[in-house]
Amino acid sequence: MKRRTIVKLGAALLALGVSNSALVAGAQAQDAPTEITMLTLGNKPTNGRLEAMLEKLNERLVQQANVKLDLFYIEWADWQTQYNVQLLSGDDNVDLIATATDWLFGWENAEKGAFLPLSEEMLKTHAPKTWAQVDAKGHWDLTKFDGQIYFMPEDNYTQYTNHGFFYRGDWAKEAGFANGEISKLEDFTTYFDWIKKNKSDVYPWDASASAGKDAILAAYMQSHTDLQTLQQVTAGNFFPFQTSAKDPYKVASYLMEGDELLAAAQLTKKWNEIGVWREDALNYDGDTREEFYAGRSGADQHHTQTYVTQIVNNMNTKQPGSDPKFFWWGKENGNFFKDIFTHGAMAVSANSKHPEKALEVYDLIRNDKENYMLFNFGIEGTDYVLTADGKLGYPEGYDSSTDGLGTNYWWGRMDEFEPPKTSDAPNKAEIIAALDSQAKDYPYSTLIVSKSAIDPTLAAIGGVLSEYLPQLENGKFDDPAAAIAEMREKLKAVGWDEAVASIQSDMDKWAAARGLK
Amino acid sequence: MTSDGPPPNEKSLWRQFSDSRVLLLMCLPATLFFLVFNYAPMPGAWIAFTNFNYRDGIFGSPFVGFKNFEFLIKSGQLWTLTRNTILYNLAFIVLGNLLQIAIAIMLNEIRSAFFKKISQAAMFLPFFISAVLVGVIAFNLLNYDTGAINALIKQTGGDPIKIYSMAGIWPLIIITVHLWQSTGYGSIVYFAAIMGIDRSLYEAAAIDGASAWQRIRHVTLPSLKPTFIILVLFSLGGIMHGNFGLFWNLVGNNAGLFQTTDIIETSVYRMVLSQNNFTTSTAVGLYQSLFGFALVMTANWIVRRINRDYALF
Repeated sequence: MKRRTIVKLGAALLALGVSNSALVAGAQAQDAPTEITMLTLGNKPTNGRLEAMLEKLNERLVQQANVKLDLFYIEWADWQTQYNVQLLSGDDNVDLIATATDWLFGWENAEKGAFLPLSEEMLKTHAPKTWAQVDAKGHWDLTKFDGQIYFMPEDNYTQYTNHGFFYRGDWAKEAGFANGEISKLEDFTTYFDWIKKNKSDVYPWDASASAGKDAILAAYMQSHTDLQTLQQVTAGNFFPFQTSAKDPYKVASYLMEGDELLAAAQLTKKWNEIGVWREDALNYDGDTREEFYAGRSGADQHHTQTYVTQIVNNMNTKQPGSDPKFFWWGKENGNFFKDIFTHGAMAVSANSKHPEKALEVYDLIRNDKENYMLFNFGIEGTDYVLTADGKLGYPEGYDSSTDGLGTNYWWGRMDEFEPPKTSDAPNKAEIIAALDSQAKDYPYSTLIVSKSAIDPTLAAIGGVLSEYLPQLENGKFDDPAAAIAEMREKLKAVGWDEAVASIQSDMDKWAAARGLK
Repeated sequence: MTSDGPPPNEKSLWRQFSDSRVLLLMCLPATLFFLVFNYAPMPGAWIAFTNFNYRDGIFGSPFVGFKNFEFLIKSGQLWTLTRNTILYNLAFIVLGNLLQIAIAIMLNEIRSAFFKKISQAAMFLPFFISAVLVGVIAFNLLNYDTGAINALIKQTGGDPIKIYSMAGIWPLIIITVHLWQSTGYGSIVYFAAIMGIDRSLYEAAAIDGASAWQRIRHVTLPSLKPTFIILVLFSLGGIMHGNFGLFWNLVGNNAGLFQTTDIIETSVYRMVLSQNNFTTSTAVGLYQSLFGFALVMTANWIVRRINRDYALF
């Protein structure tokens, strides 16, 4: 280095007032930190809290592995489509990709080559703690496609994401339900009817287009049959195939056989006539949850985790005395599942320029408590506070609707790092216990359905379903029986049987290999 | 070309080239644009014939022939989609151009320069409103529970109408919205063409005692004919391509309206992209392009038979 350059550099550093420690750190790091981008889901927060947290976290990450982390969001509007398009576009700016095999197209994208196969060697070297923890539980097998590991599962975190209705116990009580408890899907007719008659400016359930594609139809199927949905196969945004618990290795579907679909459609038709949702629910895109919080909707539809972490707390603050309750699909007959271990997982992009660094970042966030707290909950004092009894709470004036950190890290949470929260539902333990006593283990975690052969058929099936199911769901057909018959005919015409046969053969092979059949 | 023979003093290609080098330089950006965005991606259409996977790439993925096209036929919607797409575009092209001509002529007849500018600006503005906003505006006007139109009907003692369940009137709504958005913009071209008409023709007509209507009928309209034909021919090339933004934002996932509102683009968006499938969407794109190409060739051929000067090529 020439003397002049050194002098200039020194002057510049002095002028910037760089502290001693930064100089030392800079000297240690030498190279500029590698930038790693993590793709996650959710609306990018705009309250500045995310950036503040990342700044702190990155200081630590630079120290620990000389990397910097940034987030890339797939926003909720049309997220299924946006997610897949983003992955297949081959963008090499994304290194870590959030995924899931039951709801976020994990297997499909592994099959299409969007993810980097992760060798044991790589994992052991660059994500050693994650490797050891998952290995100890014997869960790596759950992430293999064609014998290769494709993601790191969120297998050390207890949660339920089975769906159901959130509703108001205070109104249910007034509608005549003892303790405000509704225990049957059909009983919601009474509840909705009561709201319609007694609360003039409230929609009994202000369902929006994106929420209500087939939720009630599937809920009815769950409550009235022993059918178990195959989470591996989607057609469009629908999950059309099931097996029966009595005959667990034969592919079936309530969409094609039986009378449950019609019964469900008749129920939704009744609800539509009552005016449970807006007449134009199919075109309505509002935020149902905020409506529920605002007391303008009598119900909302999502899963247990949302209920215990958000709904109870928000309703108790925003609608005191509303006694928010949760009715989960299949509560009547125990027909629902525990979460699979790949309900959340992290993959490395096949196009990442720094896959090793990406693994290191993930390992550091997942296994370093301080990083974990920063990334999940933000900065202590501004984003959260710890109460005297060790619970995680929020500072004065904090509103989770607007002040959320929004990292949406659902891809590697760890039970041991999760503090109990003041916002948790007081009855969380009770609910989890109730679910534990009923829930079944999903039997098909390792079943991989090869879809490339039937892709066009599934696309065509998805097309037909997207035409009929939302209308059935919202009770829009004058004659649901005729509509269902028509739909079934069309499904046959686009190759339904061929798709079933192909899935069945995968099922047969899988069952045979495991000695199940 | 027919048997005209070469012109007597034909220059060498190189000579022509060097003589027009400035002009060629001027069209270089446009040429590059088309090369990069329209010609370079063409080999990618090969995806339509493969079982594409990301690892092997476009040309390494296994070849499957016409399997990806099967879904178009299997879904049984090919006919509805093609019909809807073409009918909507025909309506857009025919009504659009007629309305644009009418507006251009009316603008031309306005004597007050101030009023002329104001009306032009007012008609131009909707062009800048994004389709997303148009969709929101439409929903707030038309929805059953809180829409402005139904509120008006309720206030005046009528029964509200379920517009979002009436597939029959949606072609009308979509065409109206499209015309509202595009007419002001489109009329500019015609207005410019009218400006370019030789003034002496009007003076001669006036001397011959032609009324305003007769001047329009016998001078303006015939002079607009070449512009009209060229614009229609250009738009015919896109007759298989729907205005996705508009349709998607107005109709969205409301399957009750699909029978009359589903076009190729919206259908592909729904069933192919959510299915994570590039191959079939490319197949549809290819079908669209080839069909559109055939239509342009046919239309051009017909025009050439009628009047060679008006044909594009």
